[in-house]
Formats: sequence, C-alpha cells, structure tokens
Amino acid sequence: MRTVTAAAAVLVLALLPVAAPWLQFVLTLAIAKGFAALGVAVLLRAGLISIGHAMFYAASAYGVAFLARAGVNDLGLLLILSVLGGALVGAVAGLFLVRYRAIFFAMLNLAVSMVFYALCAKLYGVTGGTDGMPVPVPAVFGVVLGEPAFKSVLFYLSLGLMVLIGLAVQRYLNSPLGHALAAVHTNEIRLEYLGIPVWAVLLIAYVISAALAGLGGAIAGFAIGRVVPDFAFWTASGHLVLIAVLGGIGGVPGAFIGALFLELLHSAAVTVTDSWNLIVGVTLIIVIMFMPQGVYGLLARKEAASL
Amino acid sequence: MLNAVIPLLLDSLASAALIFFAAVGLTLVFSVLRVLNVAHGSLYSIGGYVAASICLFIASRQLNPYWSFLALLFSAVCVAAIFGPLIERGLIRWTYGKSEAVQILITFGLFLILEDLQRVIFGVQSFYEDAPMRLLGTTSIGGVVYLNYQILLIGMAFLIVIGLRLLINHTRLGRLITAVVTDREMAQSIGIDTNRIFILAFSLGVFLAALGGALATPTSGIAPGLGADTMVLAFAVAAIGGLGQIEGAALASLIVGLARVLAIYLAPSLDAVAPYAAMLVVLLIRPYGLFGSVAARRI
Amino acid sequence: MTSRGISIVVARCLSSLEWLFRLDRGVPQGKVRWVVDGLAGALALGVVAATPAAAQEKPSALGLGIFTFTSGPAAAYGMPGKNAADLMIGEINAKGGIGGVPVSATYVDEAQGAQGVIAEYRRLAGDAKNQVMVAALSSANCLALAPLAEQLEVPTVGWNCDTHQLLMDGKSKYVFRPNGNTVPEFIAYAIYLLDRKPDVKTVAIINPDYAFGHDAAKIFTAALKALKPDVEIVAELYPKLGSPNYQTEISRLTTARPDVVFSNLWGADLENFVRQAAPRGIFTSSQVILALGETVLQRVPLPDGVIVGVLGDGWWMSPDARAKPETVKFAEAYKARFGEYPVFPSIKMANALIYVKAAYDAAMRKNGGKWPTRVELADAMNGSKVETLTGIAQTRTDNDGLVDQIVGVTVRTSAQQFPVIGDMVRYKGDSLMPQAGQDPLAWIATLKPEFAKGLPKPGSYK
Repeated sequence: MRTVTAAAAVLVLALLPVAAPWLQFVLTLAIAKGFAALGVAVLLRAGLISIGHAMFYAASAYGVAFLARAGVNDLGLLLILSVLGGALVGAVAGLFLVRYRAIFFAMLNLAVSMVFYALCAKLYGVTGGTDGMPVPVPAVFGVVLGEPAFKSVLFYLSLGLMVLIGLAVQRYLNSPLGHALAAVHTNEIRLEYLGIPVWAVLLIAYVISAALAGLGGAIAGFAIGRVVPDFAFWTASGHLVLIAVLGGIGGVPGAFIGALFLELLHSAAVTVTDSWNLIVGVTLIIVIMFMPQGVYGLLARKEAASL
Repeated sequence: MLNAVIPLLLDSLASAALIFFAAVGLTLVFSVLRVLNVAHGSLYSIGGYVAASICLFIASRQLNPYWSFLALLFSAVCVAAIFGPLIERGLIRWTYGKSEAVQILITFGLFLILEDLQRVIFGVQSFYEDAPMRLLGTTSIGGVVYLNYQILLIGMAFLIVIGLRLLINHTRLGRLITAVVTDREMAQSIGIDTNRIFILAFSLGVFLAALGGALATPTSGIAPGLGADTMVLAFAVAAIGGLGQIEGAALASLIVGLARVLAIYLAPSLDAVAPYAAMLVVLLIRPYGLFGSVAARRI
Repeated sequence: MTSRGISIVVARCLSSLEWLFRLDRGVPQGKVRWVVDGLAGALALGVVAATPAAAQEKPSALGLGIFTFTSGPAAAYGMPGKNAADLMIGEINAKGGIGGVPVSATYVDEAQGAQGVIAEYRRLAGDAKNQVMVAALSSANCLALAPLAEQLEVPTVGWNCDTHQLLMDGKSKYVFRPNGNTVPEFIAYAIYLLDRKPDVKTVAIINPDYAFGHDAAKIFTAALKALKPDVEIVAELYPKLGSPNYQTEISRLTTARPDVVFSNLWGADLENFVRQAAPRGIFTSSQVILALGETVLQRVPLPDGVIVGVLGDGWWMSPDARAKPETVKFAEAYKARFGEYPVFPSIKMANALIYVKAAYDAAMRKNGGKWPTRVELADAMNGSKVETLTGIAQTRTDNDGLVDQIVGVTVRTSAQQFPVIGDMVRYKGDSLMPQAGQDPLAWIATLKPEFAKGLPKPGSYK
C-alpha cells in the first residue's frame, strides 16, 4: 500500500511540469532542499541539531562552480565530485564536531558555517564575493544540451536520485547503524557499554548528512545557474532544519514532503503577501507544538520518531 | 606610539560595549532557563525601534531633548513588560524539558514572526534618532574625535556587569535565581515558585536585549536585517564566554571587539570574518567557552 | 495554425471557468482561488506555450514583472523604486496604457535571494500575459537572471544593475540596461574631484563589502591613478553591507588623515555613516565624496561642499528635468503621495518604464500597429534612443546604455529645506564609456591626464 502511494506521488511529481513548465524549477529546487533537509533529519534522529548544514549545501555548489571553471564539464562527474567534496568537508568538520552535544553542537556548526559564509562573501577575487559564481550548463554523457533540455534532464535526474538515494538512506536508517542514532538520542552511555563507539556512529551519520546536503547543493547550483554566499547564511541552515521538522523526521519521505510543501506554499504565497516569514514562523510553531511527527507522521500514522 | 595605541584601545572598548549589550541578555536567559533564545536579536532591534520612535516623538513635540535619555530606558522597560511574560508564558514554557532542537526551532519560528512584524509595523526605511548623541558633544583623544556618548556606553556596559553581579549575589531575587540555576527540582521542592522566577529572568533578558538596542540607536541606526546579524554576533559572544556566564560574555565582548578593531586597523579585508574566527579559535581550544563548564551527557 | 486556434480556445474556456469558480463558491477567495488559478493557468499555459505565437493580437492587459527590494536593508533603495513604478504605471494607464493596453505590475522582492528571484522570474515568464521584466536592482540578481532572460527569450530591462560585467560579453539579445554602468559612473567622480581639487595627494575609500563596493573602488582608483599618477590610497575599508555602526571605521579614517574620503555606501548604511561621521569631524578634515549621496539629501543634514551625484542623469531638480513639465509633475505627485521628493532610484525606475513604453510604441509603429512579439520588442529596444524624465537613454548595439552623468557638490539654498546639488557638471554618456567589447579596466588604464581636459568643468551645467 505504502509503495503504491509513494509511486503515485513520484508519478504526479514527474507529470506536474508537463502541465505547468515553470513548476519544474520549483520542484527541482524543492528536491534539492529535500536532500539537504534529509541530511539534517539524519542527525536530528540522534538528537543533534545542526544550524550549519547550509555550509555543505553551499560548499558543494561552489565545488561545482570551481570544477566547471577548471574545465570539468560533465553532469555525472560534477555531481559525483561535488558530493564527494561535500562528504570530505563533512568528514573534516565532523571529526571535531561529533564530540559535542546539544546546544554546543548546534553552535559549533553555526560557527563553522558562518566562517565559511564570511569567507565566501569576502574572498572577492576567488569566489566573486556576493555576486557569486556562475554554474554553467554541463554536458550530459558527452551530449551538449540547450538550457531548457538540460533543466528537464536535471529535474528527472533529481527525481530518480530522490527515489534511489531515498531508498538507500531508508536502508541505512533501518540498519543497526541507523538504529544506533536513536539510541544516542535516548541513552548514549548505554550504547558505549554495549561496546559501540558512539563517535564512529555519529561521524558516519555526519558524513552521510554532509554528502546529502552536498548533493542538494549541487542540484540547486545547476538549477539556479549561480551560487552565492547566501546559500550558507545561518538563516538558510535554519530553513533546512525547519523543512526537516515540518516534513517529519520519522521517515525519508518526510524531508521531501516538507521541502515540496514549503516551496509550493512559497510560490503560492509570494504573489499574495510580503509577510512570507510570518506564515512560515507560525506554521513552524504550530507543527512543533501540535504535530511533532511532521506532515509525514500525519500521513504514515504509525512510525513514532519525533524530536 | 601611545598616540597610535589609544584610539585602538578606545575603539575596542566602545565596540566591545555595543557587542556586550547585544549578548548579555542571551547569556543570562540561557543561564536560568537553559533555553537558547534565537529570537533574542529581534528583541534587540525591537528595543531600538521603540526607543527611536519615542525619541522622534519627543523631538517632534519639541520637548526638552534630555527626556530622550529617559526614553531609552523607558522603551526597554516597555518592551520587556510586554514581550517578556508573553513569550515566556506563551511559547518558552512549553519547551522546558524538551530537547534543544525543539527549543531552538520554537524560538527560530518566533524569530521569523518578529522579523516580519517589525517590517510591517516600522517599515523598511532605517530608523535613527541621534538627539542623545548630539546633546553630549565630542572629545578629542589622541588626535581622534570621539563622541562622549561612546564613552558613556563604555561606562554603561561596566555598570550592567556590576549591576547584574550585585543583583545575583546580593538580592533575594538573585539568590532565588541562583537556587533555580543550581538545582531546579530542589528549588521547586523547597517551595520556590520557579514559574515566577522564569518569567522574571526571561523578562530581565528581554529588558537587557531591548536596552541594548535602545542604547545603540543614537549612534547606530536600526534597519531591517539587524535582528539576524545581532543574533549571530550574540551567539558568538555567548559561546566564547561560555553559555550563561555574564563575566564571560563581558570578556568575550572585549575579545571580539579587539579582534574587529585590529582587523579594521591592520587588515580591513578580515573585518567581517574576525568575530567568527575568534569564536572558532576559542571553541576549538575550550569547547564550552572561556568560563563555561562541561555539560553532562544524556543518561 | 489550427493548433494555435484550439489552444487559445482552450485557454479562454479555462479562464472563464476560473471566473465561474471564483464567483460561485461563497468561500472567501483565498484558498480556492489559487488552487483554481493555478490549475487553470497551468493547463492553459502548457497548451499555449506549446505553440509558438507569431503575430499576436492585443491582450487585455500587459503584465510587467518588476524586481526590487521591498524588505531587508536594501529596501531603503528598492522602495523608492517601487513607489516610482506604482506612480508611473498609474500615469501611463491614465493616458490609455501602452498602445491602448493597460499595464499591470507584479512586484518581486529581491531580498529572497537568487534562488527565490529565479523561481519567480520563471513563474512570471511562464505566464504569457507578462511580456517584459524590469529586473533587477542588485547586480548579483541581474547576473543570475541574465542567462535566464536569454534562454526564455523575455525582454528584460535592468532598471538599476550597475555592474559592468552584465553586458560585457556583448552577446545579449534580451537583456537591456538603459542606464550607465559602474565604469562611467565612477570615472565621473575621479574627473570631477581632480577638476575641483587638483592638488589631491591622499585618498581613503570606505565602500560596502560586496561586488558593487569593490568594483567602484577599483574603477575609481584606476581612473585617479591614470589621470594623476601620484595619488596615494591610504586606507581601503569594506564594512559589511548593512552594518549599523561605523565608529571604528571613522576612527581609522581620522588617523589616516586623507585629503579625500570616497564612499559608495548607500541606503541605511550611508545615512548611518553620515550621522556618525559628521560630529566626529570627517567632513571638515577631508573632502568627502558620497557617490550615492543624493539619496539621503532629504533625510540627513549633509554639510555643504560634499561631492555627490546620482549615478547617471536622474536628478529630479537638474536643469534638464526642471525644463520638462512632465518631470516636474511627476516629482510633485511623488511628493504628494509618498511624502518625499523622488530620489534617483525612483527616477531610474520611472525612466525604465518610459523606456519599455517607448519600445512598444516603436515596435508597433514598425509592424503597422499590431501588438509586438517579444522578439520585435527586443529589436525595438536595441539601438534605441529614448527621451526620459531627465535626459536621453541611448542603447548601444551591445544593449548597454549610455546616459549622461551628473556630479556636483551639496549647497544650501533658500528654496528648499534640504541641501541640493550645485556647481554641477554633466558629462556626456558616451564620453566616459569604453567602446563596445573593450575591457573596461584595460581601457581606464590607457587614459591620460589630458583626457579630462576636453570634458566640461564643474559649474558648467546650469
């Protein structure tokens, strides 16, 4: 039953842009943010809240821009390299950061991401400062495409990746390693008495979450065609957490549901009102207070993981 | 040599005073409520908006301009009296005992709401009322003209540190707060009304935030976006000093102030990076801040 | 042909359906409306977009997407633009719209960042009603939108977009900027400064820390060094965009003791800087240049003798502007409605809309009164010469604009409560621009001190 629902949802997503072409960009961006929010959700399972994941999102997008400037011009290669880049940055940062918990983890992530943000905005000669860097249209398996065709390829590729990587992450979360995350959240010492190295569990989770954020950033970079330092600002990180919580951290679809919900709501709301943040803020508070399992929790009904 | 050092020191102190105003409320609230209030920056800018509005009103009615000094204080009291109980009772109280993620997200939601509300109420043009600054005039020190108001702010920062210390160590309220901070359950069981303490402590935090904004308006304008910037700066200072440490926040403000001033004098291109770089360095060496203690892991 | 006919019929049916839905349901419009709008619009669009339209009949309304900052610190610059657009569109519609078609605008807030702006652009461009985009204010957003404009083939008029990088490759077909760019804008200040203060030796710069600030510093410095090689830059400060406090920077400027302080701070930042710097004596110890100083003349009491300008010719009180009744009328109407006289961002926006209208008129003259396609519209913009509220906006074949540059100093007059610009000069637009396709910084480096000799002198524009 669940599989059927999921398949139907993906099919609807795949067909939507045929009816409304401009939605294609919004949906691509929503999937990109969904990946990043999924990364945040993985850590949230362990009770670790990162207000700095926009850094990996931005780092990978900048990675694409730099690689493209250096002459790498293949979609697949760029995606893989930039995700690896995101994971590498995640591994380095994670080595320091997984030692901390609670508020300190949140703040250190914030600190690191703000240094990154300030550097991107500051190193005018290298990163183009606040004007950012262009992300050109790459070739797809050696085929050079025009803009519109590439954007369609990108959308359907993201959709495919969403399913594939979503399944992979689902498996990871259901594996002992994944369950260990929830155990860190509830009782970390017991985990250590069981002989499970907590730092390794968390480091793996951190690297995975950074890679997911990186994948999202790379897709967003291609979709937007430009990467700017604002990608890494702390409010962007805050929004990723918001998406994860809104969708619900109970399952992989949650992050994507949250992202789609927020992006579509945004598209609908901006034409009506300027006070978009007000709407989001109120929604966020209501969701946390009254439906802590998020939209997905509402749909799935049984899985219990919440904040 | 001395002539080169004096402006540097004075600028550091002046800039540290402003940074301290932004951070002290955040760290105080955390020390009592154990909640990191992400909306703190918004309360700071609301304090500034209200103060500027009242000062502009005073100017428009051609009242004695010295009233504007009182207005700065009055506006902070108003903001604290309205927002303190409202936010604590309405939102923050609900998060006690919940995970940090919930606390951060609830206050992040509040931050988003307050930022938009300010835009709706006060518009997008910058607010500015410099009567208090102009009244006090200037002084030339080491060949550089300084505003007397800047020097007044340095004094105010010291007053606040001493005042808070006196409040906590030598008043009944302070002792009650200390009791709650040390052991919440024990305090409750010996009959301390912790709910009241939380409201008071949170309102005091809001007062300090609003006062910071109010005191800053005469030398620096208030414009949309100030809340978000103040927030990260306050974060950085609170983290360097150790969350919940008032003297720590004061020392951290000095460090960040000095780092910024040195950057502007010696390597202007590093100006924006300086506070965060300082935070990163301190936290890598002392993860829980200069004055902070290790938090227990969840058992 | 048939398919096009069918698609139009389908679209019409759907939009009439949408009407029914809206009226029949007694529900407050909110939810139902955007769902139905969205569905009907989406389907209709899908069908219409699938058939490339040739010559079109006149639509019932002409939609413009107008991009500006309506929130955040940059709104201090963006809102005067939006106000002017509101006013100008009202004036155009009062005179029967463009070619008999009323104009309606959808405003997009640039403060949502590049991704939000791009999403909005795509959404608006997907709606056949929106024929032209007036985008954008920020250079970063302009650079992000330009490739999109080319791809979607939507004529896009940069109403502000100062960066000289925008049209540098000379390949743009659909992106236009009926304004000068950072190159002429900041060379003008170097020339004016040297005319007014030929013995200047030391200069300090305080610009906002983003591309516009760095570009301006680079161009201004390069021009100064080319025209007077012994000038020395003694301090370069780049405070963060949106900084509320400049006290440390002011101390640093004071200790450097420069002859000249140059700044292209703007909006709230500029107001803050002026208010903090004035009591601390910067304006008496140094000659200050505030490149965007005109925007704060009515808001802060600037002392006399500060070099200010309008990054173009868009000053509502310039002799040319005063000579045009419609400009005077516009300024008074603006003052009556918004409580302040228009600042130059307002004029830039109003001029951009006049530019769009002129392009429509020209395109319709050319094709015999039919409603022009987007291609015909872009053709009409290329190489055009449009009379604006404050002068002439000429568009080169590389789509870059040429407008005159007005620079002057603040003076107090009895006519206005606030300082105005006096001792003005008006440099011809093309005299400060490199040829199309030339690298601007390389061109500046080739300038010789004699270059300034042939140009008009301060005080010559009366």
